[in-house]
Amino acid sequence: MKVFILGGATTKFGELWNLSPRDLVKEAVSEALSDAGLTVKDIGAIFVGNMLSSSLGGQDHLGAFFAEELGTNAAAVKIEGACASGGLAVHHGILAVLSGIYENVLVVGVEKMTDHKPEEVAKMLMGAGSDPERESGATFPGLYALIARAHMKRYGTTEEQMAYVAVKNHFHASLNSHAQFVSPINLEKVMKSPVVATPLKLLDCSPITDGAAALIISNKRPKSGKKGKKHTQVSIVASAVATDTLGLAERSDLTTLSSAVAAAKKAYDMAKVKPSDIDVAEVHDCFTIAEIIAMEDLGFFPRGSAAKAIWEGKTRFGSGRPVVNTSGGLKASGHPVGATGVKQVVEIYQQLKGVAGKKQVAGAKIGLTHNIGGSGATAVIHILKSFK
Amino acid sequence: MLSPVKIWRNQKKVRALLGIEGKVISFTKIHVPPAGFIDQAPYVVALVKLKNGKGVVAQLVDYEDKHLNIGQKVKTVLRRTRDAGEEGVIPYGIKFKPVS
Repeated sequence: MKVFILGGATTKFGELWNLSPRDLVKEAVSEALSDAGLTVKDIGAIFVGNMLSSSLGGQDHLGAFFAEELGTNAAAVKIEGACASGGLAVHHGILAVLSGIYENVLVVGVEKMTDHKPEEVAKMLMGAGSDPERESGATFPGLYALIARAHMKRYGTTEEQMAYVAVKNHFHASLNSHAQFVSPINLEKVMKSPVVATPLKLLDCSPITDGAAALIISNKRPKSGKKGKKHTQVSIVASAVATDTLGLAERSDLTTLSSAVAAAKKAYDMAKVKPSDIDVAEVHDCFTIAEIIAMEDLGFFPRGSAAKAIWEGKTRFGSGRPVVNTSGGLKASGHPVGATGVKQVVEIYQQLKGVAGKKQVAGAKIGLTHNIGGSGATAVIHILKSFK
Repeated sequence: MLSPVKIWRNQKKVRALLGIEGKVISFTKIHVPPAGFIDQAPYVVALVKLKNGKGVVAQLVDYEDKHLNIGQKVKTVLRRTRDAGEEGVIPYGIKFKPVS
Protein backbone atom coordinates (compact mmCIF):
# COMPACT_ATOMS: atom_id res chain seq x y z
CA MET A 1 0.00 0.00 0.00
CA LYS A 2 1.50 3.34 -1.03
CA VAL A 3 -0.34 6.03 0.89
CA PHE A 4 1.42 8.98 2.43
CA ILE A 5 0.34 11.48 5.06
CA LEU A 6 1.25 15.00 3.95
CA GLY A 7 -0.28 16.88 6.88
CA GLY A 8 -2.47 16.58 9.95
CA ALA A 9 -3.93 18.76 12.69
CA THR A 10 -6.64 18.89 15.32
CA THR A 11 -8.45 21.73 17.03
CA LYS A 12 -8.48 22.01 20.78
CA PHE A 13 -11.08 19.54 22.09
CA GLY A 14 -13.64 20.57 24.70
CA GLU A 15 -16.77 22.62 25.36
CA LEU A 16 -16.28 25.10 22.54
CA TRP A 17 -19.47 27.12 22.73
CA ASN A 18 -18.07 30.04 20.76
CA LEU A 19 -17.16 27.86 17.76
CA SER A 20 -19.49 26.40 15.10
CA PRO A 21 -18.86 23.20 13.10
CA ARG A 22 -17.76 25.45 10.22
CA ASP A 23 -15.22 27.21 12.47
CA LEU A 24 -13.88 23.90 13.78
CA VAL A 25 -13.43 22.39 10.31
CA LYS A 26 -11.87 25.53 8.89
CA GLU A 27 -9.34 25.69 11.73
CA ALA A 28 -8.31 22.01 11.54
CA VAL A 29 -8.14 22.01 7.73
CA SER A 30 -6.14 25.26 7.50
CA GLU A 31 -3.55 23.88 9.89
CA ALA A 32 -3.38 20.50 8.11
CA LEU A 33 -2.96 22.19 4.69
CA SER A 34 -0.25 24.43 6.05
CA ASP A 35 1.50 21.39 7.57
CA ALA A 36 1.34 19.75 4.11
CA GLY A 37 2.49 22.88 2.28
CA LEU A 38 -0.63 22.75 0.10
CA THR A 39 -3.69 24.90 -0.57
CA VAL A 40 -7.29 23.77 -0.89
CA LYS A 41 -6.88 23.88 -4.72
CA ASP A 42 -4.58 20.85 -4.43
CA ILE A 43 -7.34 18.73 -2.84
CA GLY A 44 -9.28 16.46 -5.18
CA ALA A 45 -11.86 15.11 -2.76
CA ILE A 46 -13.11 15.62 0.79
CA PHE A 47 -14.25 12.84 3.13
CA VAL A 48 -16.12 14.08 6.19
CA GLY A 49 -16.36 11.82 9.24
CA ASN A 50 -19.42 12.73 11.28
CA MET A 51 -22.20 10.97 13.16
CA LEU A 52 -24.71 13.44 14.61
CA SER A 53 -25.01 16.41 12.21
CA SER A 54 -28.37 15.07 11.11
CA SER A 55 -29.97 14.22 14.46
CA LEU A 56 -28.46 16.97 16.63
CA GLY A 57 -27.62 19.72 14.14
CA GLY A 58 -30.41 19.26 11.60
CA GLN A 59 -27.77 19.49 8.87
CA ASP A 60 -27.62 16.84 6.18
CA HIS A 61 -25.61 17.33 2.97
CA LEU A 62 -22.44 17.74 4.98
CA GLY A 63 -19.96 17.22 2.11
CA ALA A 64 -21.11 20.29 0.16
CA PHE A 65 -21.59 22.20 3.42
CA PHE A 66 -17.90 22.02 4.28
CA ALA A 67 -16.68 22.30 0.65
CA GLU A 68 -18.51 25.63 0.55
CA GLU A 69 -16.86 26.72 3.80
CA LEU A 70 -13.42 25.75 2.49
CA GLY A 71 -14.02 27.54 -0.83
CA THR A 72 -13.73 24.59 -3.20
CA ASN A 73 -15.97 22.67 -5.58
CA ALA A 74 -14.07 19.40 -5.04
CA ALA A 75 -15.93 16.11 -4.61
CA ALA A 76 -17.17 15.91 -1.00
CA VAL A 77 -19.11 13.30 0.97
CA LYS A 78 -20.00 12.46 4.57
CA ILE A 79 -19.00 9.03 5.85
CA GLU A 80 -21.02 7.66 8.76
CA GLY A 81 -20.41 4.71 11.08
CA ALA A 82 -21.33 5.96 14.57
CA CYS A 83 -18.18 6.59 16.66
CA ALA A 84 -16.10 4.93 13.91
CA SER A 85 -17.17 7.59 11.36
CA GLY A 86 -13.73 9.22 11.49
CA GLY A 87 -11.82 5.97 10.99
CA LEU A 88 -14.14 5.03 8.13
CA ALA A 89 -13.58 8.44 6.52
CA VAL A 90 -9.81 7.81 6.65
CA HIS A 91 -10.38 4.34 5.14
CA HIS A 92 -12.41 5.81 2.26
CA GLY A 93 -9.89 8.59 1.72
CA ILE A 94 -7.23 5.91 1.33
CA LEU A 95 -9.37 3.99 -1.17
CA ALA A 96 -9.84 7.22 -3.13
CA VAL A 97 -6.11 7.90 -3.53
CA LEU A 98 -5.39 4.22 -4.20
CA SER A 99 -7.96 4.30 -7.01
CA GLY A 100 -5.69 6.74 -8.80
CA ILE A 101 -8.58 9.10 -9.52
CA TYR A 102 -7.47 11.53 -6.82
CA GLU A 103 -3.88 12.40 -5.94
CA ASN A 104 -4.47 14.31 -2.69
CA VAL A 105 -7.57 14.05 -0.51
CA LEU A 106 -8.69 15.74 2.67
CA VAL A 107 -10.19 13.67 5.48
CA VAL A 108 -11.86 15.77 8.15
CA GLY A 109 -13.73 14.50 11.20
CA VAL A 110 -15.97 16.82 13.18
CA GLU A 111 -18.62 16.71 15.89
CA LYS A 112 -20.52 19.45 17.73
CA MET A 113 -22.07 17.92 20.84
CA THR A 114 -22.09 20.38 23.73
CA ASP A 115 -24.75 22.67 22.22
CA HIS A 116 -27.38 20.14 23.33
CA LYS A 117 -28.86 18.76 26.55
CA PRO A 118 -27.07 15.62 27.86
CA GLU A 119 -30.21 13.42 27.71
CA GLU A 120 -30.74 14.45 24.07
CA VAL A 121 -27.12 13.63 23.23
CA ALA A 122 -27.43 10.28 25.08
CA LYS A 123 -30.58 9.48 23.09
CA MET A 124 -29.03 10.42 19.72
CA LEU A 125 -25.87 8.42 20.47
CA MET A 126 -28.13 5.39 20.92
CA GLY A 127 -28.72 5.75 17.17
CA ALA A 128 -25.58 3.59 17.01
CA GLY A 129 -27.34 0.72 18.80
CA SER A 130 -30.16 -1.69 17.98
CA ASP A 131 -33.93 -1.08 18.19
CA PRO A 132 -34.41 -3.30 21.29
CA GLU A 133 -31.49 -1.56 23.02
CA ARG A 134 -33.17 1.81 22.44
CA GLU A 135 -36.50 0.42 23.69
CA SER A 136 -34.86 -0.81 26.91
CA GLY A 137 -33.66 2.66 27.90
CA ALA A 138 -30.03 1.55 27.62
CA THR A 139 -27.39 4.22 27.10
CA PHE A 140 -23.87 3.74 25.73
CA PRO A 141 -22.45 3.72 29.25
CA GLY A 142 -25.13 1.09 29.97
CA LEU A 143 -24.09 -1.14 27.06
CA TYR A 144 -20.42 -0.96 28.02
CA ALA A 145 -21.47 -1.62 31.63
CA LEU A 146 -22.98 -4.93 30.43
CA ILE A 147 -19.66 -5.70 28.73
CA ALA A 148 -17.70 -4.66 31.85
CA ARG A 149 -19.70 -6.91 34.19
CA ALA A 150 -19.22 -9.90 31.87
CA HIS A 151 -15.44 -9.22 31.74
CA MET A 152 -15.30 -8.86 35.54
CA LYS A 153 -17.16 -12.15 35.97
CA ARG A 154 -14.95 -14.11 33.57
CA TYR A 155 -11.51 -12.66 34.31
CA GLY A 156 -11.85 -11.12 37.76
CA THR A 157 -11.27 -7.61 36.36
CA THR A 158 -11.91 -5.06 39.14
CA GLU A 159 -13.42 -1.57 39.29
CA GLU A 160 -10.06 -0.26 40.54
CA GLN A 161 -8.28 -1.72 37.51
CA MET A 162 -10.79 -0.02 35.21
CA ALA A 163 -10.38 3.23 37.15
CA TYR A 164 -6.62 3.07 36.61
CA VAL A 165 -7.14 3.31 32.82
CA ALA A 166 -8.72 6.72 33.48
CA VAL A 167 -5.84 7.75 35.76
CA LYS A 168 -3.29 6.81 33.08
CA ASN A 169 -5.14 8.54 30.25
CA HIS A 170 -5.75 11.73 32.26
CA PHE A 171 -2.00 11.75 32.99
CA HIS A 172 -1.29 11.50 29.24
CA ALA A 173 -3.83 14.27 28.54
CA SER A 174 -2.00 16.51 31.00
CA LEU A 175 0.85 16.47 28.45
CA ASN A 176 -1.47 17.36 25.54
CA SER A 177 -2.35 21.04 25.14
CA HIS A 178 -5.27 20.14 22.82
CA ALA A 179 -6.96 17.79 25.33
CA GLN A 180 -10.34 18.49 26.93
CA PHE A 181 -9.06 17.61 30.42
CA VAL A 182 -5.54 18.75 31.24
CA SER A 183 -5.39 17.96 34.98
CA PRO A 184 -4.20 14.58 36.27
CA ILE A 185 -6.62 12.65 38.52
CA ASN A 186 -6.10 9.90 41.10
CA LEU A 187 -7.74 6.53 41.67
CA GLU A 188 -9.86 7.76 44.57
CA LYS A 189 -11.37 10.53 42.46
CA VAL A 190 -12.45 8.02 39.79
CA MET A 191 -13.81 5.55 42.37
CA LYS A 192 -15.81 8.28 44.15
CA SER A 193 -17.24 9.87 40.99
CA PRO A 194 -21.03 9.55 40.55
CA VAL A 195 -22.44 6.31 39.18
CA VAL A 196 -23.62 6.51 35.56
CA ALA A 197 -24.49 2.85 34.88
CA THR A 198 -23.20 0.28 37.39
CA PRO A 199 -20.32 -0.62 37.55
CA LEU A 200 -19.26 2.42 35.44
CA LYS A 201 -18.81 5.79 37.09
CA LEU A 202 -18.58 9.24 35.57
CA LEU A 203 -14.78 9.12 35.33
CA ASP A 204 -14.89 5.71 33.62
CA CYS A 205 -16.69 7.44 30.73
CA SER A 206 -15.39 9.59 27.89
CA PRO A 207 -16.93 13.07 27.84
CA ILE A 208 -19.23 14.91 25.44
CA THR A 209 -16.91 16.99 23.28
CA ASP A 210 -16.70 19.48 20.42
CA GLY A 211 -13.76 19.22 18.06
CA ALA A 212 -12.38 18.53 14.60
CA ALA A 213 -9.35 16.79 13.13
CA ALA A 214 -7.99 16.91 9.58
CA LEU A 215 -5.59 14.78 7.58
CA ILE A 216 -4.18 15.25 4.07
CA ILE A 217 -3.29 11.96 2.38
CA SER A 218 -1.76 11.30 -0.99
CA ASN A 219 -0.63 8.58 -3.37
CA LYS A 220 2.42 10.71 -4.16
CA ARG A 221 5.51 10.48 -2.00
CA PRO A 222 6.16 13.76 -0.17
CA LYS A 223 9.13 15.85 -1.29
CA SER A 224 12.34 15.52 0.68
CA GLY A 225 13.61 18.43 2.71
CA LYS A 226 15.55 21.33 1.25
CA LYS A 227 19.10 20.80 0.02
CA GLY A 228 18.72 17.03 -0.03
CA LYS A 229 18.26 16.77 3.75
CA LYS A 230 15.82 13.96 4.41
CA HIS A 231 12.94 14.55 6.83
CA THR A 232 11.08 11.80 8.60
CA GLN A 233 7.86 11.03 6.68
CA VAL A 234 4.86 8.87 7.56
CA SER A 235 2.96 6.37 5.44
CA ILE A 236 -0.19 4.37 6.11
CA VAL A 237 0.66 0.70 5.62
CA ALA A 238 -2.68 -0.88 6.58
CA SER A 239 -6.33 0.16 6.66
CA ALA A 240 -8.84 -2.51 7.65
CA VAL A 241 -12.53 -2.53 8.55
CA ALA A 242 -14.76 -5.27 9.98
CA THR A 243 -18.31 -5.37 11.32
CA ASP A 244 -20.39 -7.33 13.84
CA THR A 245 -24.02 -7.40 15.01
CA LEU A 246 -25.45 -3.97 15.91
CA GLY A 247 -26.76 -5.16 19.27
CA LEU A 248 -25.02 -6.94 22.14
CA ALA A 249 -27.84 -9.50 22.46
CA GLU A 250 -26.84 -11.27 19.25
CA ARG A 251 -23.19 -11.81 20.35
CA SER A 252 -21.91 -15.10 21.73
CA ASP A 253 -19.17 -13.45 23.84
CA LEU A 254 -19.38 -10.06 25.56
CA THR A 255 -15.73 -9.99 26.68
CA THR A 256 -14.26 -9.32 23.21
CA LEU A 257 -15.22 -7.27 20.14
CA SER A 258 -14.96 -9.75 17.28
CA SER A 259 -14.98 -6.91 14.73
CA ALA A 260 -11.81 -5.50 16.30
CA VAL A 261 -10.12 -8.91 16.33
CA ALA A 262 -11.00 -9.44 12.64
CA ALA A 263 -9.95 -5.94 11.53
CA ALA A 264 -6.70 -6.17 13.52
CA LYS A 265 -5.81 -9.50 11.90
CA LYS A 266 -6.40 -8.05 8.44
CA ALA A 267 -4.34 -4.97 9.30
CA TYR A 268 -1.38 -6.91 10.75
CA ASP A 269 -1.36 -9.15 7.65
CA MET A 270 -1.56 -6.14 5.33
CA ALA A 271 1.27 -4.31 7.11
CA LYS A 272 3.31 -7.48 7.73
CA VAL A 273 3.83 -6.52 11.37
CA LYS A 274 3.10 -8.20 14.72
CA PRO A 275 1.48 -6.70 17.82
CA SER A 276 4.94 -6.66 19.47
CA ASP A 277 6.23 -4.36 16.68
CA ILE A 278 3.86 -1.53 17.69
CA ASP A 279 5.56 1.36 19.53
CA VAL A 280 2.56 3.59 20.08
CA ALA A 281 -1.22 3.10 19.78
CA GLU A 282 -4.35 5.21 19.96
CA VAL A 283 -7.26 2.98 20.99
CA HIS A 284 -10.99 3.54 21.40
CA ASP A 285 -11.31 3.99 25.19
CA CYS A 286 -14.87 5.36 25.12
CA PHE A 287 -15.09 3.67 28.55
CA THR A 288 -12.24 2.37 30.67
CA ILE A 289 -13.29 -1.26 30.13
CA ALA A 290 -13.04 -0.65 26.37
CA GLU A 291 -9.29 0.01 26.59
CA ILE A 292 -8.76 -3.19 28.59
CA ILE A 293 -10.62 -5.22 25.96
CA ALA A 294 -8.83 -3.37 23.13
CA MET A 295 -5.44 -4.43 24.55
CA GLU A 296 -6.60 -8.07 24.41
CA ASP A 297 -8.33 -7.82 21.00
CA LEU A 298 -5.20 -6.23 19.47
CA GLY A 299 -2.99 -9.02 20.83
CA PHE A 300 -0.90 -6.73 23.06
CA PHE A 301 -1.67 -8.90 26.11
CA PRO A 302 -3.24 -12.36 26.55
CA ARG A 303 -6.98 -12.54 27.34
CA GLY A 304 -7.74 -11.65 30.93
CA SER A 305 -4.33 -10.12 31.64
CA ALA A 306 -4.56 -6.60 30.17
CA ALA A 307 -6.14 -4.96 33.23
CA LYS A 308 -3.21 -6.05 35.38
CA ALA A 309 -0.65 -5.05 32.72
CA ILE A 310 -2.14 -1.55 32.43
CA TRP A 311 -2.14 -1.28 36.25
CA GLU A 312 1.59 -2.17 36.22
CA GLY A 313 2.30 0.73 33.83
CA LYS A 314 3.08 -1.44 30.82
CA THR A 315 1.25 0.96 28.47
CA ARG A 316 2.01 4.19 30.32
CA PHE A 317 4.10 7.05 28.91
CA GLY A 318 7.61 6.83 30.32
CA SER A 319 7.40 3.20 31.47
CA GLY A 320 5.64 1.02 28.92
CA ARG A 321 5.59 -0.20 25.35
CA PRO A 322 3.44 0.09 23.36
CA VAL A 323 2.49 3.42 24.91
CA VAL A 324 -1.29 3.55 24.63
CA ASN A 325 -3.34 6.71 24.14
CA THR A 326 -0.61 9.31 24.34
CA SER A 327 -3.23 11.95 23.43
CA GLY A 328 -5.19 11.05 26.57
CA GLY A 329 -7.51 8.89 24.48
CA LEU A 330 -11.23 9.47 24.15
CA LYS A 331 -11.34 9.36 27.93
CA ALA A 332 -9.34 12.49 28.66
CA SER A 333 -8.51 14.16 25.35
CA GLY A 334 -12.24 14.07 24.58
CA HIS A 335 -14.55 12.25 22.17
CA PRO A 336 -16.13 14.38 19.44
CA VAL A 337 -17.41 11.17 17.86
CA GLY A 338 -16.93 11.88 14.15
CA ALA A 339 -13.52 13.48 14.77
CA THR A 340 -12.11 10.73 16.99
CA GLY A 341 -11.00 8.26 14.29
CA VAL A 342 -9.24 11.03 12.36
CA LYS A 343 -7.66 12.49 15.50
CA GLN A 344 -6.20 9.08 16.37
CA VAL A 345 -4.40 8.96 13.01
CA VAL A 346 -3.21 12.58 13.44
CA GLU A 347 -1.79 11.70 16.87
CA ILE A 348 0.12 8.67 15.55
CA TYR A 349 1.31 10.69 12.53
CA GLN A 350 2.74 13.33 14.89
CA GLN A 351 4.32 10.66 17.11
CA LEU A 352 6.04 8.95 14.16
CA LYS A 353 7.14 12.27 12.70
CA GLY A 354 8.63 13.19 16.07
CA VAL A 355 6.55 16.35 16.58
CA ALA A 356 4.30 15.14 19.45
CA GLY A 357 5.77 17.60 21.97
CA LYS A 358 5.82 16.75 25.68
CA LYS A 359 4.12 13.39 25.03
CA GLN A 360 6.62 12.34 22.33
CA VAL A 361 7.49 8.63 22.61
CA ALA A 362 11.21 8.41 21.89
CA GLY A 363 12.07 6.44 18.77
CA ALA A 364 8.48 5.56 17.81
CA LYS A 365 8.52 4.06 14.31
CA ILE A 366 5.34 1.95 14.00
CA GLY A 367 1.94 2.99 15.33
CA LEU A 368 -1.62 1.72 15.32
CA THR A 369 -5.11 3.21 15.63
CA HIS A 370 -8.21 1.32 16.82
CA ASN A 371 -11.55 3.06 16.25
CA ILE A 372 -14.85 1.43 17.26
CA GLY A 373 -18.43 2.26 16.23
CA GLY A 374 -21.31 1.50 18.57
CA SER A 375 -20.63 -1.31 21.03
CA GLY A 376 -18.34 -2.97 18.48
CA ALA A 377 -20.54 -3.19 15.38
CA THR A 378 -17.81 -1.44 13.36
CA ALA A 379 -14.05 -1.60 13.90
CA VAL A 380 -11.43 0.30 11.91
CA ILE A 381 -7.71 -0.34 12.33
CA HIS A 382 -4.89 1.66 10.74
CA ILE A 383 -1.17 0.96 10.94
CA LEU A 384 1.34 3.73 10.22
CA LYS A 385 5.10 3.61 9.70
CA SER A 386 7.79 6.27 9.54
CA PHE A 387 10.39 6.35 6.78
CA LYS A 388 13.10 8.69 5.50
CA MET B 1 -39.17 9.57 16.32
CA LEU B 2 -42.09 7.63 17.83
CA SER B 3 -44.03 6.72 14.71
CA PRO B 4 -47.39 5.02 15.47
CA VAL B 5 -46.90 2.91 12.32
CA LYS B 6 -43.52 1.70 13.55
CA ILE B 7 -44.98 0.84 16.97
CA TRP B 8 -47.80 -1.13 15.30
CA ARG B 9 -45.35 -3.01 13.07
CA ASN B 10 -42.90 -3.85 15.89
CA GLN B 11 -45.57 -4.98 18.35
CA LYS B 12 -46.28 -7.99 16.16
CA LYS B 13 -42.78 -9.20 17.04
CA VAL B 14 -43.29 -8.57 20.76
CA ARG B 15 -46.10 -11.16 21.04
CA ALA B 16 -43.76 -13.99 20.01
CA LEU B 17 -41.40 -13.14 22.89
CA LEU B 18 -43.90 -13.18 25.77
CA GLY B 19 -43.83 -15.61 28.71
CA ILE B 20 -40.43 -17.12 27.92
CA GLU B 21 -37.96 -17.97 30.67
CA GLY B 22 -34.27 -17.19 30.51
CA LYS B 23 -31.09 -16.42 32.47
CA VAL B 24 -29.32 -13.12 33.10
CA ILE B 25 -25.98 -12.93 31.22
CA SER B 26 -25.16 -9.39 32.42
CA PHE B 27 -26.95 -6.38 33.92
CA THR B 28 -26.49 -2.71 34.78
CA LYS B 29 -28.42 -0.15 36.80
CA ILE B 30 -28.80 2.99 34.68
CA HIS B 31 -28.59 6.16 36.80
CA VAL B 32 -28.25 8.64 33.93
CA PRO B 33 -31.06 7.94 31.43
CA PRO B 34 -31.60 9.14 27.85
CA ALA B 35 -34.56 11.32 26.80
CA GLY B 36 -37.80 9.28 26.99
CA PHE B 37 -36.76 7.42 30.16
CA ILE B 38 -36.09 10.28 32.60
CA ASP B 39 -39.03 9.43 34.91
CA GLN B 40 -38.01 5.77 35.27
CA ALA B 41 -34.38 6.19 36.45
CA PRO B 42 -32.69 4.45 38.09
CA TYR B 43 -33.66 1.23 36.34
CA VAL B 44 -31.98 -2.07 35.57
CA VAL B 45 -31.21 -3.17 32.01
CA ALA B 46 -30.30 -6.83 31.56
CA LEU B 47 -29.00 -9.00 28.75
CA VAL B 48 -30.83 -12.31 29.00
CA LYS B 49 -30.40 -15.55 27.11
CA LEU B 50 -33.90 -17.00 26.61
CA LYS B 51 -34.60 -20.73 26.67
CA ASN B 52 -35.26 -20.60 22.91
CA GLY B 53 -31.62 -19.51 22.48
CA LYS B 54 -32.39 -15.88 21.61
CA GLY B 55 -30.53 -13.07 23.39
CA VAL B 56 -32.61 -10.06 24.48
CA VAL B 57 -31.68 -6.71 26.05
CA ALA B 58 -34.53 -5.24 28.13
CA GLN B 59 -35.34 -3.79 31.55
CA LEU B 60 -35.67 -5.92 34.67
CA VAL B 61 -38.75 -4.96 36.73
CA ASP B 62 -40.43 -6.10 39.98
CA TYR B 63 -37.03 -7.09 41.35
CA GLU B 64 -35.31 -6.96 44.72
CA ASP B 65 -31.54 -6.46 45.16
CA LYS B 66 -31.08 -10.22 45.78
CA HIS B 67 -32.17 -10.78 42.15
CA LEU B 68 -29.30 -8.70 40.72
CA ASN B 69 -27.00 -11.57 39.81
CA ILE B 70 -25.56 -13.09 36.66
CA GLY B 71 -27.44 -16.39 36.23
CA GLN B 72 -30.71 -15.10 37.80
CA LYS B 73 -33.77 -16.78 36.25
CA VAL B 74 -36.26 -14.38 34.65
CA LYS B 75 -39.40 -14.43 32.50
CA THR B 76 -40.48 -12.03 29.74
CA VAL B 77 -43.53 -9.84 30.43
CA LEU B 78 -45.33 -7.06 28.55
CA ARG B 79 -44.76 -3.56 29.92
CA ARG B 80 -44.94 0.06 28.85
CA THR B 81 -41.42 0.99 27.66
CA ARG B 82 -40.83 4.74 27.20
CA ASP B 83 -42.71 8.05 27.39
CA ALA B 84 -45.50 8.24 24.82
CA GLY B 85 -44.19 11.54 23.41
CA GLU B 86 -46.24 14.00 21.35
CA GLU B 87 -48.00 11.33 19.29
CA GLY B 88 -49.55 9.93 22.47
CA VAL B 89 -49.30 6.29 21.37
CA ILE B 90 -48.10 4.32 24.40
CA PRO B 91 -45.25 2.00 23.36
CA TYR B 92 -45.34 -1.47 24.92
CA GLY B 93 -42.55 -4.01 24.78
CA ILE B 94 -40.67 -6.78 26.53
CA LYS B 95 -39.32 -6.49 30.06
CA PHE B 96 -38.07 -9.19 32.45
CA LYS B 97 -39.41 -10.24 35.83
CA PRO B 98 -37.44 -12.44 38.26
CA VAL B 99 -38.66 -16.05 38.59
CA SER B 100 -38.61 -17.29 42.23
